[in-house]
Amino acid sequence: MKRILTILGIAAISFTYAQGGTLIINNYTPYEYRGDIIANNSLGCYPIVTNTDKIIVPADSHTGNGQQLQYDNYRDQYTSSLYPNPNWTVSTSVSTTNVRPWNHASLMPGGIISNNTKWSATKFDMFDTGTGSYVTGFNANLSISTCNSSAPTPFYNTPSGSNSAEMFVIGSITYIQLY
Amino acid sequence: MKKHFLLTAFIVLGLISCTNEGTAANTVASMKTPQMENYDKAFKSLGDPQNRPTEEERKRNTTELSGRRKALLVPASKELILSTGVTESELMRRTGGDMSQIIVWATQIYMQKSDEIRKNIKTEN
Repeated sequence: MKRILTILGIAAISFTYAQGGTLIINNYTPYEYRGDIIANNSLGCYPIVTNTDKIIVPADSHTGNGQQLQYDNYRDQYTSSLYPNPNWTVSTSVSTTNVRPWNHASLMPGGIISNNTKWSATKFDMFDTGTGSYVTGFNANLSISTCNSSAPTPFYNTPSGSNSAEMFVIGSITYIQLY
Repeated sequence: MKKHFLLTAFIVLGLISCTNEGTAANTVASMKTPQMENYDKAFKSLGDPQNRPTEEERKRNTTELSGRRKALLVPASKELILSTGVTESELMRRTGGDMSQIIVWATQIYMQKSDEIRKNIKTEN
């Protein structure tokens, strides 16, 4: 009985850490999201994984119209997402950073990097394609981990109060929502 | 007589082309079920002023969405799951009433339905 419980316990832990989980970005605003998404290890922060080139999610792109950014894992996003990201910048320590292509072995589901990282933060600016400039006050660093900041900063309200942004987790899915 | 016949033919042609126009305009958004619509609305409503995280909710040391805000997503999620023919008791048995599990399950159903709609649109055009 005890052994079964131990096995179940280990299985549960490895499941919670198997894979960064799915990331969904719902952009409900009339502005373009231009930013970085970051995943890391919750113990000691490293490894850290982030997109090499800026991620762009157009205005009004969310699950409601099927235009959401959805990354099921580091690899399959390239073939299944509307916004494929070709390269990931992977830091395994302060001094070791490599650019890895989407199909690199360590980034596969079950790969060493995949198994040891979770979505944890985003840094973004909102861009108005109408005026061709960034939206004043609508840029933020959101974090649900203490790796990127001293305390988690999961929510951001623009100074005018007319827009907001947040990051949260429901079960195995991490959401970044822009309102 | 001939004139009438031609006129009718043109009207019929016009009607057909209008119908085609309608089919082409079918989008994922217009083909969603009411349950899918409500699921969308619920997610978007998290940004409404009264539904935004409170000071206390922002300071919590957890990454999970708060219980109060998960509860805003649960009715639409349940509705979506039940619309697939799953019974209330089966839903409770599979999720144990856990809000996260209900929402994640509904999300999977939603994604699957969106994919199906997209495929249908492709084959129709």
